[in-house]
Amino acid sequence: MLLEARGITKAFGSFKAVDDASVTLEQGDILGLIGPNGAGKSTFFNCLTGDLKATSGRVLFEATDITDFTPEQRAGLGLARTFQVPQTFEGMTVLENVMIGAFLRTAHRKEAETRARAVLERVGMSRLAEAPARSLGTPGRKRLEIARALATEPKVLLLDEAMAGLNAHEVRLAIDLVRDIHRSGITLVIVEHIMEVIMSLASRVMVFHQGKEIARGSPQEVTSNPAVIAAYLGTRAAKAAAGHTPVELMGGPDP
Amino acid sequence: MRRWIWLSVVVAFAIAYPLLLSSPFQQRLGALVLLYAIAASAWNIVGGYAGQVSVGHVVFFGCGAYAAMGAYAKFGLSPLFGIPGGIVLAVGLAAIVGVPTLRLSGHYFSMATIAVAETMRLIVTNTEWLGAAVGLSGPTVPRNIFDLSFLSALPYYYLFLAILSITLAITWWMTNSRMGFYLRAIKDSERAARSLGAPASRTKLYAYMLSAALTSVAGALYAMMFGFVDPESGLGILISVKILIMAALGGAGLLFGPLVGAAILVPLEEISNSWLGGKGAGLTFVVYGAIIVLIARFQPGGLLSLLTRRSRSKVDTGAGYAP
Repeated sequence: MLLEARGITKAFGSFKAVDDASVTLEQGDILGLIGPNGAGKSTFFNCLTGDLKATSGRVLFEATDITDFTPEQRAGLGLARTFQVPQTFEGMTVLENVMIGAFLRTAHRKEAETRARAVLERVGMSRLAEAPARSLGTPGRKRLEIARALATEPKVLLLDEAMAGLNAHEVRLAIDLVRDIHRSGITLVIVEHIMEVIMSLASRVMVFHQGKEIARGSPQEVTSNPAVIAAYLGTRAAKAAAGHTPVELMGGPDP
Repeated sequence: MRRWIWLSVVVAFAIAYPLLLSSPFQQRLGALVLLYAIAASAWNIVGGYAGQVSVGHVVFFGCGAYAAMGAYAKFGLSPLFGIPGGIVLAVGLAAIVGVPTLRLSGHYFSMATIAVAETMRLIVTNTEWLGAAVGLSGPTVPRNIFDLSFLSALPYYYLFLAILSITLAITWWMTNSRMGFYLRAIKDSERAARSLGAPASRTKLYAYMLSAALTSVAGALYAMMFGFVDPESGLGILISVKILIMAALGGAGLLFGPLVGAAILVPLEEISNSWLGGKGAGLTFVVYGAIIVLIARFQPGGLLSLLTRRSRSKVDTGAGYAP
């Protein structure tokens, strides 16, 4: 088992954003976390990465209890993440942004630069290496997030809505990139709103609603689960929609 | 290549300056510019590169100044022997102050550093052993060359030039190391930097300690040149402000920014003081206030950032996806 969360609860005051969520991740998985806005998937995600401290529950990585580890310690173990709103280092070039990730595995500038260039080549951004990162638009920034995370040589990569804000063509390119990353042996956790992405990438899906896990299974299983449809569309709409395929209703691809 | 030509011109000018402009006033002015450039460059490491705007840096300046004068006044040693003591004091204090305050962001960190500096000034003002409000004096008549007490500003000028070169070399080395990259990343987004494995707290603390050590050297040199230190000249908050404005005016986070800022502001202050005499002393700070407003409004990157013109136009957004 690569990554495991046991009974994670995150409370803000009396409000439980995540209520007793558990998950296990095996080498080679692509786990999708879905749910309506405010369902708690991002909070759960941030408990895995260490950005938030869980109120209760444990997180284990390769059988080590990392619940009290800082984000930088988790990165050192091989847990990398991207941010929903890209946290680009604005004052740096694209290459330097990626070098920050590469510096995790080497203290030498030259070596970090070599590794960063290799990552940029891999994600198709080598032409932009010397460009100031602040000149990038949303698609470029999203891709740079992934490149930086890859440069830390992770075992698990957690993508937080890496495709939000991209157009259909860009989403397809991004899906190809994620597939390529997966093929290279990196295990993935993806939080995503776009159903097409989940359907075409995830091997397993976990559905959140109001802080609780309401379903899990293959993408096909969860999207035909009445509780999931009700969570997305409301109970009445779910009844009315009974005749349609759920993927279609959630804005997925045409069947 | 052009970079190296510029650098050689600046270095050549810096070496020749006190010989070309050799009046005592001009030599003293040159020495002061270098002295403040050392302090502002030291501040730049934590204020510029790490983006932690310390307004209490004078506390480290004071460590050096009091250690240098204390070495003479209390132990009869050359003020030079106070320098290592000042560094140890400053680094220790930076560690004590830095651990709880560096996690504060933005203005809160600045305010905490002001509180520390003012507290220290009040403590020293009320400590008889440190001369209280009168302060400590250095050797009035030099016993030997190691007392570093000269009538002419010329020896100070070259001493300061050497120390400034070392300070800038350390800064340059740092910016090209992993630590420098991490500091810049932390400044832009601490959260992202940490997610990529940068130990933010530790990196900032090291930068703060390094900056404190260099600032204390500047304080020691200042006290040696003026031959005394009192709570106002060694621990007054306005010294912090001066250092900060010089770095910000020239360009915080740029290697030569603080030097440029010092080269503009020190002459400005000296000239306004000598023209206006005692009456104009307060006017300098009115000018400083105006400069803060102007920098913040029009050129937050400082004057030097005008030279490093980078393209602001957006690259074609599709370009990120070129296969």
